[in-house]
Amino acid sequence: MGFLAPWFLLGLAGVAAPLYLHLLRRQTTNPRQFSSLMFFEPRTQASMRHRKLRYLWLLALRLALLALLVFAFADPFIMRPAASVTGDRLTVLVIDHSFSMQAGTRLADAQRQAAATLSGLAGKVQVMALGNRLEVLTKPSTDRAALRAAIAGIEPGWSHADFGELARGLKASAAAAATPVTVHFFSDMQKSGMPAGFADLMLPGNVTLVTHNVVGATAPPNWTVASIQAPTELWGSPKDTPPARVEAVVRGYNTPAASVPVVLEVNGQVVARQTVQVPASGSATADFNSVAFGYGWSEGTVRVEPAAGLNDGFAADNSGVFSVRRADPQHVLFVHAASDARSPLYFGAALQASAGSAFVLDAVSEAGVVGRQPSQYALVVLADATALPAEFASELSQYVETGGGLLIAAGTATRALPVFGGTVAQPEDYGEQYLAVGDSDTAYPATALLGNWPGVKFYYAARIVPGDARVIARLSDGTPLLLDRKVGEGRVVVFASGFDNLTNDFPLHAAFVPFVREMASYLAGNEEAGPQVVDSYLTLRTAKEQGAAAAIAVQVTNPQGRRPLSLAQALTAQTLPLTEAGFYQLKLADGRQQVVAVNPDRRESDLSPIPEETLALWRGTPRGAPGNGSPPAGSTAAGAAPSRVPVSLWWYILLLMLVAAATESFVAAKYLKVRRDEESAGEPLQPAGVARGSAGR
Amino acid sequence: MASRAEQSFLDPAVLAGIADLELIARTVVDGFVAGLHRSPDFGFSQEFAEYRAYSPGDDLRHVDWNVYARTERAYLKRYRGETNSQLTVLLDASNSMSFGSKLNYARYLAASLLYLALHNQRDAAGLIVFDDEVRDFVRPSTRTGQLARLMAALEQAQPRARTDYGKPMAHFQEFLHRRGLAVIISDFYAPPEEIVRAVEPLRFHGNEVVLFHLLDPRELRPDVDGSELLVDLETGQRFEVTAEYARHEYRAKFDAHLTDLRQRAQGAGLDYFLLPSDRPLDLALREYLTLRQGRN
Repeated sequence: MGFLAPWFLLGLAGVAAPLYLHLLRRQTTNPRQFSSLMFFEPRTQASMRHRKLRYLWLLALRLALLALLVFAFADPFIMRPAASVTGDRLTVLVIDHSFSMQAGTRLADAQRQAAATLSGLAGKVQVMALGNRLEVLTKPSTDRAALRAAIAGIEPGWSHADFGELARGLKASAAAAATPVTVHFFSDMQKSGMPAGFADLMLPGNVTLVTHNVVGATAPPNWTVASIQAPTELWGSPKDTPPARVEAVVRGYNTPAASVPVVLEVNGQVVARQTVQVPASGSATADFNSVAFGYGWSEGTVRVEPAAGLNDGFAADNSGVFSVRRADPQHVLFVHAASDARSPLYFGAALQASAGSAFVLDAVSEAGVVGRQPSQYALVVLADATALPAEFASELSQYVETGGGLLIAAGTATRALPVFGGTVAQPEDYGEQYLAVGDSDTAYPATALLGNWPGVKFYYAARIVPGDARVIARLSDGTPLLLDRKVGEGRVVVFASGFDNLTNDFPLHAAFVPFVREMASYLAGNEEAGPQVVDSYLTLRTAKEQGAAAAIAVQVTNPQGRRPLSLAQALTAQTLPLTEAGFYQLKLADGRQQVVAVNPDRRESDLSPIPEETLALWRGTPRGAPGNGSPPAGSTAAGAAPSRVPVSLWWYILLLMLVAAATESFVAAKYLKVRRDEESAGEPLQPAGVARGSAGR
Repeated sequence: MASRAEQSFLDPAVLAGIADLELIARTVVDGFVAGLHRSPDFGFSQEFAEYRAYSPGDDLRHVDWNVYARTERAYLKRYRGETNSQLTVLLDASNSMSFGSKLNYARYLAASLLYLALHNQRDAAGLIVFDDEVRDFVRPSTRTGQLARLMAALEQAQPRARTDYGKPMAHFQEFLHRRGLAVIISDFYAPPEEIVRAVEPLRFHGNEVVLFHLLDPRELRPDVDGSELLVDLETGQRFEVTAEYARHEYRAKFDAHLTDLRQRAQGAGLDYFLLPSDRPLDLALREYLTLRQGRN
């Protein structure tokens, strides 16, 4: 017998309370003098013994009640022969349908073994499937036909199997079942499915694991495209921009050194072919230097084509996909003081320096903004612009409120910050001195690559009161240098110095280019949508779009050409789980078209199985002992169930508690009734009287 | 005649506040005597009781010569005092009498009876204080200062030892040869047959014997709460007693004891009077004496 929660046994100290009330308290009775005890004869003691016995019954019942309560919390269990608890036992059949189970006939073998195991089982059985999470396919049932249908209905998946998720799911199921559970797990037992810590695999005490490895102990050779580096967006005409470059890493698992042909396809057309020398169980890079992508979305595929003589155990992972979008660059409105020709020069150069820049700079002076519509620009930059026309200022404010981006460089002349709000409290001119950046937020997109802005000298900085704005970077004296504030649906970023190479020398540093590029992308709302992995989620609409009164449907087409969302879901869904590998076609709520390339988790390509020692440790049995369900294909593991299994006594303890409580109530009520009778038995004293003697009268 | 309801009886608790035992006795006796309106039938002696025909050997001094002159027959004039002309109080001062206010109550009762005999009836009065020995003895007398000696003996009576009725009764028979009234005040914690066996010989000597069975109300109805450890005042014996037992079996046994003692006393020609110590003393005496008058 054992306890699942033995710490609750400390509660047994609580039995001291009735012991004190019944025994210790009684012994503290002070003796009282009485005239004569001649009428308290030995019968009195017999009565007391009877009384004590009754007290002891009450005491024993109360002690039992407390002890049972403690035991119930401690959750005791006993080990019983497995055969004797078959009726109470729940058997769970878990079938791995991760991406690797598409290799050869693994999934079919697993389904066949599960069906065979089901034939030899009695009692209730439940069927589950394991991908990146544990899916419950049936309730515990004795309906064998329904269970077989559930097993047969498991389809090949694209997910990465996570055995830690299996353990977590089984813990929840076992806790809900409150009975012994035997789990038959049918899988290829990929080593890559193990969680980071072995503790994540631990199962509850009432769960017995039987593993069924549907493949052999050695992994077959496998070639795969491990990763693809390709641009996600291209800007401008193909004629005006250099051709794109695509790199693919080809990897072999348990493979000999070999020359492997690699093919690049764009929109279904083979555009390049290469052969790479892959070392034994190694990797090599295929570099396609000049790939042309037209306007719009292009679907790219890199595929390895091992020679006929090379054994490839898993053909489904021989290709990887990516998508590329080509569009015209976005325009940036750069407003500067009429006397400042340096700021647009440096800022524009930084934008152009970014290869494949997505932006074209439209630089105008303060007076030149008349007639310009901010809404026509991806973002607006104010470089020490202090005299904006009122009409433009109003349009600018509305532009930001509706989601636009604004970057303000507070030069020496700036005293007020439009849209951002607030004023420059006290310009700080450090003169011959200069300050460096003291603190910078590396989680912010525009400063992620800058570190502490090494070597950048600031000679002048406006002192800006942050208010509720987020301070991204501060100078070494604590002066806020870069501030970000959300205004309406848009954002305003304030740079407390200038872009003119006078108030600082930042434009001369290489870090200025990524700063400008990332800042422009951030404020323009451009998000790089690189290749996704199966089981990740894609954002379909923003929270604002979600709350819009007139919802706009999102159109999604999965790699199979089907629409995974119902009409209701298309109107409301914010995210889309990417469950299959291939290309998802989307038409988003804001009208944008998008093609998302989704690849399986490449950890599935490593077919190396878990060592038997590790599996035995997971099952909690030594190697070769019962519980190892890795028999030849087709055999069942029903006979390999453990001989003794834990059986929880919780319910029995609860029943005993109820009986003890009822008996205690009965005995206590009876005792109290006696006391009441005794108290009501008081009689008035007989009046004094005289008995006359008769003798001699 | 004042009704009983109009009378103010003397609460024992009130009497306990009076230190002077003689004053207590006087208060009690005068009170109930006044309540009786000095009935001519009341008293122990020196009052006419009956005529009896003369027989040879009778004392000629008691012949009523006036009757003889009218009827020429000799009759003896008998007085009550000729049968009860001496009062001896035997006071139990064992440890059991210290329970509650029994001993004080017994003192008041004895003092009242002795005062009544000496002061009102001019009878001889004596006192024996006993437990398992005779602790004090005041020979019956009518001499001057007898009341003070009796009161002093009562004051000095202290509870001690156990009760033994044999020795004091033997002492009584040894020193008292004149017949009279013997009043035994005790809680009678002994088997009834043993008590009657010890007291009965007094009756054979022509004494009239009265048993005042003095008990505390808590002895009649013990106030045991839950279970209590009781200690016998005389033997030191200890019993754990429950309320249930005290309210049922104890009462039954005690009532049987009272009934047995009363019946045995009646059978032996002894007067028996149960007296709870919370009963007003003058009221108890009045009832007792009224009943005695009726009997005589």
